[in-house]
Amino acid sequence: MTTVSENAAQLRRAKRFRKFFANTGWYIVLISFALVTVVPFLWTALMSVRPNSASVFRPERPPELIPYPGLIGWGYGQNEARREGAYTALPWDSNLPEGARHGWWRDFTPAFSEWFKSVGLDQFAFPATTVNYYRVWTDVNLPAYFVNSFIVAVSVVTLQLITCSLAAYPLAKMRFRGRDAIFYLILSTLIFPEQLTLIPSFIISVNILGLGNTLQGLIIPFGTNAFGIFLLRQTYQSIPDELIEAARIDGASEIGIWWRILLPLIRPGLATLAIFSFIGSWNSFLWPLLMIRQESLYTLPLGLAFLEGAFTGNLRTVAAGIMVATVPIIIVFLMFQRQFVRGLSGAVKG
Amino acid sequence: MVSTPYSDEIASLAQGRRHRERRRLLVAYGFLMPSFAFFIVFLIVPLIAVVYLSFTNYNIVTAPQWVGLENYARLLQDPLFWRGLRNSFIYLVVTPILIVLSIWLAIVVNRKLRGIFVFRTIYYIPAVTSVVAVGMIFEIVFAEPSGLINGALLALGVIQSPINFLTHPDSTLISIMLVTIWRGIGFYMVIFLAALQAVPEELYEAAAIDGANRFQQHLYITVPSIRPAIIFVAIISSISALKVFEEIFVMTDGSAGVLDSALTLMFYLYRQGFVNLNAGYAAAIAVVFTLVTLGFSIANLRFLERGTRDNRQ
Repeated sequence: MTTVSENAAQLRRAKRFRKFFANTGWYIVLISFALVTVVPFLWTALMSVRPNSASVFRPERPPELIPYPGLIGWGYGQNEARREGAYTALPWDSNLPEGARHGWWRDFTPAFSEWFKSVGLDQFAFPATTVNYYRVWTDVNLPAYFVNSFIVAVSVVTLQLITCSLAAYPLAKMRFRGRDAIFYLILSTLIFPEQLTLIPSFIISVNILGLGNTLQGLIIPFGTNAFGIFLLRQTYQSIPDELIEAARIDGASEIGIWWRILLPLIRPGLATLAIFSFIGSWNSFLWPLLMIRQESLYTLPLGLAFLEGAFTGNLRTVAAGIMVATVPIIIVFLMFQRQFVRGLSGAVKG
Repeated sequence: MVSTPYSDEIASLAQGRRHRERRRLLVAYGFLMPSFAFFIVFLIVPLIAVVYLSFTNYNIVTAPQWVGLENYARLLQDPLFWRGLRNSFIYLVVTPILIVLSIWLAIVVNRKLRGIFVFRTIYYIPAVTSVVAVGMIFEIVFAEPSGLINGALLALGVIQSPINFLTHPDSTLISIMLVTIWRGIGFYMVIFLAALQAVPEELYEAAAIDGANRFQQHLYITVPSIRPAIIFVAIISSISALKVFEEIFVMTDGSAGVLDSALTLMFYLYRQGFVNLNAGYAAAIAVVFTLVTLGFSIANLRFLERGTRDNRQ
């Protein structure tokens, strides 16, 4: 009797033990993969706060991986920054008198380096600086690129939500001749890579519609979206026909039904489409590259790509620019990620 | 319809129906109109125009000149076109790697573990980051003496001289392909995850009773059940591999690599059309490129669909 219960207890313990280790194995896989994903971003973040171009990895010494607040501030503070080797003056800085100061700028290095020495981590630590962010924000017109990207993305989203939700309604809920043919025609346009029509679209936009070098030129060609029509048609189909019939009997016009009854009901589908087209527009590069010549109309990806030209060899400033451009969109994604993933799986299942 | 003696009323009813039908048609096309307008101007007309332009000599500024098949004949003898085609096909290697890795990752994150949502979210982050930013992040990671990889390996003494990820003709394309894989895994993982969650749990239990080990379970249950998702991913990832441009533009600073070693078909189209202003020639590249893409998608579909039929037998 005792041996049996002892055996059972042993078995249970063994099982728990095995389960714990089985899960540990999975967590090791998950964490190592997460590191592969995250480390490039962290490396960029690390580069963006580095004060000087000396390598993080040094022969026969530990790598400088821990940033601590050093030269923190918003302004030129050139002399302080130069002392730390953080600032290699650009040509247009040179007419500033020696010792000139703008904005506020403070050197926290002494206090923190003392503390790091006392903990014994000073070998791994380096004083972080905001100078790269300041330079990328002021020397390059990054705020303007931000605004341009935002205007374009919001306009594209608005336009697509209207055109796609209009077009998807009859395709899902009305019976008329040629409906299925039209739907499959729209769907079949997804097969063609957009590069096929790149040259004529460019010529039409620039030579005929005069959209070259304007923000409208980044919006209007993306006025509708076959994938969006497909997605919203799926969403409309989940609405019961009786609802629409009842509204028709009550004498509502089709446009009234669409606006008052259907649009509120397909909000999840609209949200999914909005997120997708926002990110697509926010990240698009090739079309703006062709359309925009004027620097003040650059979108963020364009500005980023040309940042490298402006700061050749200064990877720290480029890194700061990357952080400024990517962190907001990552935050937006984290805020909406539930809706995002649900929408994506819904679209694939449908 | 049942016939009745009230033929007049039937006639007027029928007329009313015809009238209503015409009205319904009008309303439906009214709703479709805005989208049609954009499709016609930015898709249908360009589609016809690109085929026409491919038979002309056109520099965007002066009027196009009909030259017949000259552009296509020139393509056949253009070594850079063939290199672009070859590199685009080499780039297709990312597709099977992406499929295998993202299915595997989807299986891992489909397990009910504490905090699994955090991991799913993290894996998806690269997919929402722009290609331009990702390309530049990896330029910093790949940087030559002091980037993450070279710096670490040099400091550890694993290598004596830095690896020329993006500055050697042999490694440029492969390095960029690695970045595409890195950026794509999370995106395709979510698609496979959605498919996996629709696979009934009982199938695995039955297979386990029949003595199938975990690998066999996935091979014989998971893979066939998520075949539609695999077909979908195979097609979209191979199309995006064939048309790769932005990664290469960013990571080679607009040069297609040393000695054009990373020149793909899309990059060549861009260069001919918008740098050299040979729009007619570029249109011919676009047409060939589309035929290749379509052919490849159809082949993909045929191959994978045949697999489905075989399974059913």
